[in-house]
Amino acid sequence: MPVMLPTVLRNLFGGPATRMYPVQVREPFAGARGQIEFNDDKCILCGNCEKRCPAAAIEINKDKNELVFYPARCIVCFVCAEACNKEAIIEVDKWRTPYYTKPVEVHTAKAKKDKAKENKVE
Amino acid sequence: MAPRTVAPFGPQHPVLPEPIQLKITYENEKVVDVVPALGYGHRGIEKACELNEYPKNIHLVERICGICSCIHGISYCETVERLWPLEVPPRAKYLRVIYSEMSRLHSHLLWLGLLCDALGFESMFMQFWRIREKVLDILEATSGHRVTQSISVVGGVRRDIDAEQEKTCIKVLQEVKKEAESLINVLASDPTVKARTVGKGVLTKEQAILLGINGPHLRASGVKEDSRMLGAQAYSELGFEPIVETAGDCYARALVRAREALQSIELQLEAFSKMPEGEIFERPKGRPPANEVTYRAEQPRGECFYYAKGNGTQHLERFRVRTPTFANIPSLLVMLPGCELADVPVIVLSIDPCISCTER
Ligand code: SF4
Ligand code: SF4
Repeated sequence: MPVMLPTVLRNLFGGPATRMYPVQVREPFAGARGQIEFNDDKCILCGNCEKRCPAAAIEINKDKNELVFYPARCIVCFVCAEACNKEAIIEVDKWRTPYYTKPVEVHTAKAKKDKAKENKVE
Repeated sequence: MAPRTVAPFGPQHPVLPEPIQLKITYENEKVVDVVPALGYGHRGIEKACELNEYPKNIHLVERICGICSCIHGISYCETVERLWPLEVPPRAKYLRVIYSEMSRLHSHLLWLGLLCDALGFESMFMQFWRIREKVLDILEATSGHRVTQSISVVGGVRRDIDAEQEKTCIKVLQEVKKEAESLINVLASDPTVKARTVGKGVLTKEQAILLGINGPHLRASGVKEDSRMLGAQAYSELGFEPIVETAGDCYARALVRAREALQSIELQLEAFSKMPEGEIFERPKGRPPANEVTYRAEQPRGECFYYAKGNGTQHLERFRVRTPTFANIPSLLVMLPGCELADVPVIVLSIDPCISCTER
């Protein structure tokens, strides 16, 4: 028992090791892998992210000019963000809050559309 | 003759975080026979690895195990790199060692906590997990995630540790070392812990070699054998010496893991001091060529064996993992018969079973 005394005393006078979650939430570390967000203005539907995603969480529908993202499948590896040359995928350090139904995000690629329009004008 | 009773131990049991069943036959509280039953957690990861393109598998093999996830990812990359063969930049090698040792440290702290829990030493269990949290925090701050670090890619690592992070890591590691030393001191000298572990579940050196046991379990039986001695990654430059105990009982296994946890802090500090500057990633050229390779990695639980066969495409033709617990389960059939029923949880825990690894 005497060998444990320093630990006991430290715990007696130190504060608790836990936090009053969810009232007190620790700020995520810079660079923590929380979730991804899409910047539709920059996406050109090149398909790099869809090809690299290990969890098949991104689907690209070129006919409809859409990028469909399934957050419930995403394992937040940030491979897509590293693969995107247009910086259309933003790495966010805050994680998603839990959900009751699996969300599906449909993004319309604006950069691509503009280009299509331009082509038509020409 | 006293009547014999057969009782199932698991698949759901307080000391088992994962499902394995041991059918235990006992006679007057003495165990006479054990039959393990496996297969509750099979997920078909090896087959899935053949269907996936090879870079995507890193994220899949990391999910073989929740604790050695980082080392699984690193070892998969090391295996696939050997297909070319590919040389990773020196700094990446050091970073891989640092991340591997960090996982070993948190895994051993977790195990020491679980051992205390199995012995009913609840307060100590919390103390070990409390310091483990610091290690997980530095893992999250550097790699981005506390459990599935996804740090390694074929050709190097994804994130560098900058000077400021390095300073924080060293500071935290020194703190952890000081606290872990004092806790391990308590654990190693506590009379109740000794009464429950010394002389329990003895596995002799000869039996250990005969059964092909590996990892800390083997080293606790007096065999100097560790895959890190092969010097892969940067281990050859760090002067690594395996830790060996000779008694072969539960106490010896606890001591080996406790000393390895401290050694792993030393290795990290040394790796930080020797780490060269430079690139951390080199893009592999082309696809993995048609070739066959094997690789041995030392995980917290023991030696993990990898086999990969490439066929010149983006897919691997065959990928195989033999995990440490798979090799360590047979030792239970030797250690359990003859012991008291009350000692079964401690002896089962002393091999550090990881069932999701075993069944993949
Ligand atoms: S998000 Fe980036 S990688 Fe994905 S389709 Fe758009 S531009 Fe290409
Ligand atoms: S973070 Fe990973 S899993 Fe999620 S969409 Fe991007 S590549 Fe897919």
